[in-house]
Amino acid sequence: MKKSVLYGLLLPGLLFLGIFMVVPIVLTIGSTFYRGGSLTLSGYAHFFEDSYFNQILLTTVGISLITTLLCVALGFPTAYYISRKKARSKGILLAIAIFPLLTSPIVRSFSWMIILGRKGLINDVIVGLGLAEKPLDILYTPTAIVIGLTHLFLPIMIISLVGVLENIDTDLVQAAQSLGASRLSAFARIVFPLALPGLVIGAVIVFVGSLTAYTTPALLGGKQRVISTFLYQNAMTLNDWFLASVIAVIMIAITFIVVGLMNRATHQFNPKG
Amino acid sequence: MALLTLDSVSVAYGSQTILKDLKLDVEKGQLLSLLGPSGCGKTTTLRLIAGFMEAQQGTFRFAGEDYTRRPVNKRNFGIVFQSYALFPHLSVFDNVAFGLRMRKLKDSDIKTRVGRILEVVSLGGFEKRFPKELSGGQRQRVAIARALVIEPDLLLFDEPLSNLDANLRSGMRVEIRRIQQELGITTLYVSHDQEECFSISDRVAVMNKGLIEQIDRPETIFKYPATEFVARFIGFHNFVNFAERAESDGVITLRAGDRLFAAVGNPGTNHPSALKGAIRPDDLVVTAGSEAGPARVGSLPGIVKVSTYLGRSYQYVVETALGPFTANQEMEKPFYSGQSVTLQFPPDKLVLVD
Amino acid sequence: MREKHFGLGLFSLMVFVFLLGPLLIIFATSFEPGIVLQFPPHGFSLRWYEQIFKVEGFIRTFKTSIAISLLGNAFALLLGIPAAYALSRSSFRGKELLNGIFLSPILIPGIVLGFTLMKYLIVVYHLPMYTGLLIGHVVIMLPFIVRVVASSLSNFDFAVEEAALSLGAGRMKAFFKVVLPNIRSGIIAAMLIAFLESFNNIDISVYMTGPGVSTLPIEMLTYVENHFDPTIAAISVLLMVMTGVMMFLIERLMGLSHFTSR
Repeated sequence: MKKSVLYGLLLPGLLFLGIFMVVPIVLTIGSTFYRGGSLTLSGYAHFFEDSYFNQILLTTVGISLITTLLCVALGFPTAYYISRKKARSKGILLAIAIFPLLTSPIVRSFSWMIILGRKGLINDVIVGLGLAEKPLDILYTPTAIVIGLTHLFLPIMIISLVGVLENIDTDLVQAAQSLGASRLSAFARIVFPLALPGLVIGAVIVFVGSLTAYTTPALLGGKQRVISTFLYQNAMTLNDWFLASVIAVIMIAITFIVVGLMNRATHQFNPKG
Repeated sequence: MALLTLDSVSVAYGSQTILKDLKLDVEKGQLLSLLGPSGCGKTTTLRLIAGFMEAQQGTFRFAGEDYTRRPVNKRNFGIVFQSYALFPHLSVFDNVAFGLRMRKLKDSDIKTRVGRILEVVSLGGFEKRFPKELSGGQRQRVAIARALVIEPDLLLFDEPLSNLDANLRSGMRVEIRRIQQELGITTLYVSHDQEECFSISDRVAVMNKGLIEQIDRPETIFKYPATEFVARFIGFHNFVNFAERAESDGVITLRAGDRLFAAVGNPGTNHPSALKGAIRPDDLVVTAGSEAGPARVGSLPGIVKVSTYLGRSYQYVVETALGPFTANQEMEKPFYSGQSVTLQFPPDKLVLVD
Repeated sequence: MREKHFGLGLFSLMVFVFLLGPLLIIFATSFEPGIVLQFPPHGFSLRWYEQIFKVEGFIRTFKTSIAISLLGNAFALLLGIPAAYALSRSSFRGKELLNGIFLSPILIPGIVLGFTLMKYLIVVYHLPMYTGLLIGHVVIMLPFIVRVVASSLSNFDFAVEEAALSLGAGRMKAFFKVVLPNIRSGIIAAMLIAFLESFNNIDISVYMTGPGVSTLPIEMLTYVENHFDPTIAAISVLLMVMTGVMMFLIERLMGLSHFTSR
């Protein structure tokens, strides 16, 4: 293809993203280092010195880590089960896993408001069985956020694992067994290491997604702030755009660092491509 | 007594029968091939012996013990897969060492044994490579080494050469036979390629529709196929249905239409009533002109319909009163289409099959 | 070859209950005849479905959402298809980088992207709210269009295009007459996926609402914060039906393997 044609095809899209995404983000990043007419790191210093901000950041990271672990624990066995199924039932199970992914996050968070509320299903059961005298406060706690995020991101973990697991030749497992490996040992030594790249990618998507998700913590978290709702609050309610920009840059930095680490890690897991 | 015995084994998926009432004996130290077209049940038989599936009926005995329900990982059989099934995340050394680690051998022993077996398959110095860095033939050797290093009681090959190109294939064939004889391992070899099976086996079992049609030494099968299926599968393209037969002094006289043919009885096989004759295109002799005078035994006049140049020989399709026949003949100047010729059926080449 | 997966099967069943159960509960509660949202519902009624159409905000924002998603989709296709074609059809230095730029809107946290867009498009550049909303949605749809169209082009045999060129078609004609018809289902699947992404979006839209300007998800978000009646359940059911239909179409057009391979 001629260079001029190539540029002609790519340029409109690049210009669009350049003007409407790259420039605003670069300017936002720049604005955090510039205050009162001089270059400064005070925005970040202030953020990391403030115990309230730190608590929000730590809570968010904690929620994201627990969500990621839950998604791995629930997703791996399920993905393994789906990947062993014949094409037809595999397709149906995969469709069931993908459907929630395409459903509005509002709908999905809303369903947990019905289930976790003081008059919700869970509390009905707990009080009904006499496990507790009065309804537990689950909704509007970090626990509710973790449940909602796990529900939100589990499908991504499952399909990312099914993607790698279904490409593992069953001959490999059989070869391991014929060489004396038990079912469990074949899983641990062959299936798991080969699925690791998919697991890492899935875990990173879940972790970064949980870290930056807005709707679920906004609806299920009550007064509990996470970093994304904190950003929104500063931007729209408190109109502190300087702090909002600092938070935005911190979120971008975390995302790129985690994704960068992932890229290095997946290269290591595939030593020979 | 045979080392390996399958007794009345049946396997079916739903209404589809894969193996019916299969019986098979393999002697210690022998290399037996299962030969047949795809879907004949040869791979199922191999997977059953390997332990990847269970027989619905019948028993599998090995070295005097019942192996029918013994788990794969307790069988100590080495398997070479069609896909090689090398572990992509492990180096050549770790691939080969896998079975030894499962047997909890000492690291120093593992090192010695892996090193030794890699020498046997001529892959010394490749320990640190990964499967992706190897050629097809080298992967094949790793797969063989991995199966051999556990000192298996039985070695199983599932179409091991089908992913290699033609040159490598004949080389590997010799290699497999050499290693098998050197180590004296009882081996079961599955393939759809008759040349491959014939060249490396002590005995060949030809399978069709879940049954063994014939099991014999390669030379015997090649010369004297027992059934029409086997004959077709190994290249007898011409068949004659005879109306009656008579036997005297070991010579069988046969009649088809108004022509008489002679055949020498097949040694070792017993076809007292077979009325179907088979002959290879290479064994038919074509002579020019239709014969004059009384019909001679074993000759059949016809007209050349198609003439094809095969390189070393010419191939003719000759239309006769008994239908079309295919004959290959080496000659300087070919017959032309439409020419009258006579086909000669040598009595020692005409085979009677069930 | 029977495998003993009983425990695994039971575990997976429970995971599927966790995934789908909440959605089924919404479905059940949407038929509640009373005014309090509860599960199980105390009867059967369609009154909350009727209620949806009585709330002026839902109707208005639904129209806005549809308009933004469709219009944005068209722009994203215009920008994305040429880019996907160029990226699949040629190899040049820096191709990986450009590919990365086109996919990067997925990587930037939505809530951050929304903030920067609001800060610069609306406040600094003084663009109208609707324009800002539209631009934001084109930005988030673009990576999905580029990715799905490129994956559909990767299955296309470009020798067919060369055949058209050798038969005398110009580049443009070859593209429109030969390439485009062959990746049509990929493009439709890309449109559907991008549409759902845009229609369900909150992170961007939440910054771009103002007097008289809002999208359906934002309207729902505000409604849920103030009311807890079954109207939202009823809307949710309608949205799930829409999602289901679109997913079925995506499956028909491309298969669901798009979601598992990367």
